[in-house]
Amino acid sequence: MDIELNEDQTMLQDMTRRFLEDRSPISALRKQVNAGEGFDRDVWKEGAELGWIALFVPEENGGIAESAGGVQDAAIVAEELGRVVFSGPFLSTCAVAHAIALSGSPEQRETHLPGLAAGETLAAWCLSGRGPMAGIEAGSVVAAQSGNGFELNGTAAFVQDAADADLLLVTAADGQGVSQFVIPAGSNGVTIEAMDPLDLGRRLHVVKFDGVKAEADALLGEAGKAADALEKQLQALIALQCAETVGVADRTFEFTLEWVNDRYAFGRPIGSYQGLKHRLARHCGHLEGAKAAAAYAARAVQNNHPDAAIAVSIAKSQCGRMATEIIRDCLQMHGGIGLTWEHDIHLYLRRAVSNEQLWGSPAAHHERLCQLTGL
Amino acid sequence: MQNNPTITEIATTEAQDTEEVNAFRLRAREWMKGNLPPRLPHEAGNDFDDAELVARDRVIQKKIYDAGFGGHQGITVPVEYGGLGLDQRFEDVFLEEATPYRLPWSYGNATNIAMPCILGHGTEEQKRKYVRKILDGTHLWAQLLSEPSGGSDLAGVLTRAERRDDGNWYLNGSKVWTTGGHHCDMGLCLARTDASLRKHAGLTIFLVNFHQPGMTVNPIKLVMGGTEFCQEFLDDVVVPDEDVLGEVNGGWKVAQTQLASERKGMARGWHVGMHRGEVSQHIEPAERYGKIARKMGTDKDPHTRAMVGELIVYDAVSDLIGKRINAGLRAGKFHGEAGAISSLMSSVFDIDRTRLISAMAGPEGIAAVDDASANGVGMSRVSTHRIGGGTLETQMNLVAERHLGLPRELGPAPDTPFNQLRSNATARIA
Repeated sequence: MDIELNEDQTMLQDMTRRFLEDRSPISALRKQVNAGEGFDRDVWKEGAELGWIALFVPEENGGIAESAGGVQDAAIVAEELGRVVFSGPFLSTCAVAHAIALSGSPEQRETHLPGLAAGETLAAWCLSGRGPMAGIEAGSVVAAQSGNGFELNGTAAFVQDAADADLLLVTAADGQGVSQFVIPAGSNGVTIEAMDPLDLGRRLHVVKFDGVKAEADALLGEAGKAADALEKQLQALIALQCAETVGVADRTFEFTLEWVNDRYAFGRPIGSYQGLKHRLARHCGHLEGAKAAAAYAARAVQNNHPDAAIAVSIAKSQCGRMATEIIRDCLQMHGGIGLTWEHDIHLYLRRAVSNEQLWGSPAAHHERLCQLTGL
Repeated sequence: MQNNPTITEIATTEAQDTEEVNAFRLRAREWMKGNLPPRLPHEAGNDFDDAELVARDRVIQKKIYDAGFGGHQGITVPVEYGGLGLDQRFEDVFLEEATPYRLPWSYGNATNIAMPCILGHGTEEQKRKYVRKILDGTHLWAQLLSEPSGGSDLAGVLTRAERRDDGNWYLNGSKVWTTGGHHCDMGLCLARTDASLRKHAGLTIFLVNFHQPGMTVNPIKLVMGGTEFCQEFLDDVVVPDEDVLGEVNGGWKVAQTQLASERKGMARGWHVGMHRGEVSQHIEPAERYGKIARKMGTDKDPHTRAMVGELIVYDAVSDLIGKRINAGLRAGKFHGEAGAISSLMSSVFDIDRTRLISAMAGPEGIAAVDDASANGVGMSRVSTHRIGGGTLETQMNLVAERHLGLPRELGPAPDTPFNQLRSNATARIA
C-alpha cells in the first residue's frame, strides 16, 4: 500500500501474503459460508503467532510493540487480509489490545494482553449504537457509579465478533465524559444478539447491557477521562480498516483487469473499448488515491502527527466510498457472471460496502472533518 | 495556473543541512532578502494576460542568474550550460528559503519542458546556447504542438517543414493553444518533414525563433474572458539547420520527452517552489470552503457541511496522489507514464471540486453582489483544465493503455503513410 516499504515491511508483506494464500485463500471463506461456519480458529491462532496482534502488545506482556512498526506494520497485514476477505476477528482484537496497552493498569495488561497476543483470547469492542454517527461517537451505553464499581446500561450495535468474544471492551459516555471497561463477555446482564450482516465473512451483533456490574478493576484508565484514549483507539482502528479496504479493492481491480484482457466481445478484448478503459483509468486513479490516503493515515497515526485525526477521516471517506464505487463497477464489467453466487466478486463487494459504513460512514467523517477544521 | 496558498510560517529542513549546504542556504537567504520581491497572497503563478507580471519575472530570472544561483531551476543543471551543477538537495534548500518570495514562474514552459528536452536531445552547441538563455532570463519558451486540425491526436500535425537550397528549413502551417505565445521568444515546434512515411515517422522538432516576419501570433479569447493562449500562423518561418532538435524524422521521440516532461511538471506542481505541500509533509485543509459557507450563512446547514467535508477530502487526496506517484517514480516502482495518473486525477478532482463549490454557493455563484461574493465559484477554472495538457479523454487512454496495459483501440493499419490518412482542415480560431 505504502509506495516505499522498508526491507522489514516488504518481508512482512510477503510472509503474510504467502501465509494467507496457503491457509486462508478466498475459497476458504466460500467454504465457511457454504458450511455455515464462522472463522477458522486454527488459522487465527497461526496468524496471531506471526505477530498480528502482538504488534500492539508490549514485550513484557508477550508482544513485540517496541521493535515493530505498530499501526504501519499492522496496516500491511490488514491490507493482505483484505485481499482474501479474511473472516477472522483481526480489527476487533487489535482494537481491544491497543486500548488495553494504551490505558490499562499493569495488572490489566498482564491479565489480558498475553492471551490476546497469542490469539487465544478473543475480544469485541462495544462503542456505539445505531444512527448517523454510529462507529465514531460513544454514548449508547452509560456507566453509573455503583458501590465500589459501576453499573452499565444501554445497547451497542454493529459489534464485531461479540458472540465469539471472551472479553468486551465497553466505551460508555455521558455528558460528564467517557469511561471504558473491560468485562467478561459472559457477565450477568449482557445479552448478545446476532445481526444479519451483508458481509459474509463478518459477524455483527447487538449487545445489550442491562444493569451489568463492572468492578472497579474493570475500569480502563480513569473514570470520565477516556476521551483522548478513545480518539487514539479509533484512529488506529480506522487506519487499519482503510488498509483492509485498500486490499479488498486492489485485489478486485487486479482480477478485473485480467478479465477485461481475456474476455472477448465482437472479436476484441473488452478492455480495448474506451467505454471500459476510461472507467478503469478513473478507478486506477481513485485506487491510487485510496492507497495514498490510507498509507498517509497509518503513518500519521503511528507518528502521532497533529493531523492524524484529519488524515484518518480523509482516508475513511476516500477508501470507503471509492472501494465501493470501483468494485460495483468491476462487477458490472464482469457482465452476467458477476451476478452469480459462484463468482468471488460479491464477497469482495460485500466487504467493501460493509467497511464503507462501519466505524463511521463517509457522511459521518465529512461532518467530523468540519468539526476538526473548526467549522 | 493556481492561486497562492496562504503564506504562513514555514518549517525548514535546516537541521539536516551539511556544512556546505548550510553555507549555501545562508548565502541564498541573505541575498533573497534584498533582491527578491515578496510573494503576494493572491498573485497567480503565471498569468500571460498580465504583461507586467511577465516582465517582472524576466527581471527576477536574470537577477537569480546574475547573483550566481543559476537562475530558477538551474541549480542542478551542469555548469557548462549555465547552471550550478549541484545536487537536488541544494535546489530544495533554495526553494525552502524562497518561500516568502516571488519566483519567476512565467518560465514554467522553459524550465519544465524546453530545458529537459534540449538537455536530453540537443547537440552540445544547442545546450550551450539555449539552456543558458533560459537560465539567464533571455528566452521565454512556448510549445508549438496542437493544431486547429487536432490536439489529442498529436502525431497527426499538418504543419509542414521543408529544407530548401539555402540549407534552411521553412515551416508553414498553424499552431494553437500555445500558452503565453504572445510573450514568447522561442518555441519547440513539431512539424511534418515527410508525409510519405507513416504518421509518427515523418515528424521533426524545430527550435523556432518567434521574432521573425513569417510568425504571426494571435491571442485567443476564452470563455472566461482571458487571452492566455494563442494561435500562430507560420508563413515560411525560417529555421537554420543547426536548430533541428534530435534527428530529422525523429521528432516523435523528442515529443515523447516533451510530453513526459509536461506530465512530470504537472505532477510535481507546475510552479516549482510555490506550494507548501512540496515541502510540508502534512495535510493542511484549505480555509476557503469554510469561509464561503460562513459568508453565505450556511455553515450550520448539514448539507453544506457535508459538501465542505467532501471538498477537504478532494484536496487532500489529490495532493497525496501527486506525492505518491512522485515517490513511486523516484523509487522506480512506477514507470514514467504513471505521471498521467496525477494529471488525470487533478483534472477529475478539479471538475468534482467545481461542481461542489457551485452547489455550495447556490445563486451567489452566478451573480455577484459585490467583488467578493462570487469569488472562486461558478465557472472559475472549469474551462481550461480538462483540455490543456491533454484532454481528460487522452489522459484516461494514457493511464489505461500505458499504465494498466490495456489493449489499444483498433485504427488504420499502423504502417499507413500519413498522406493516405484522413485529417481535419486547418481553421482560424483567432
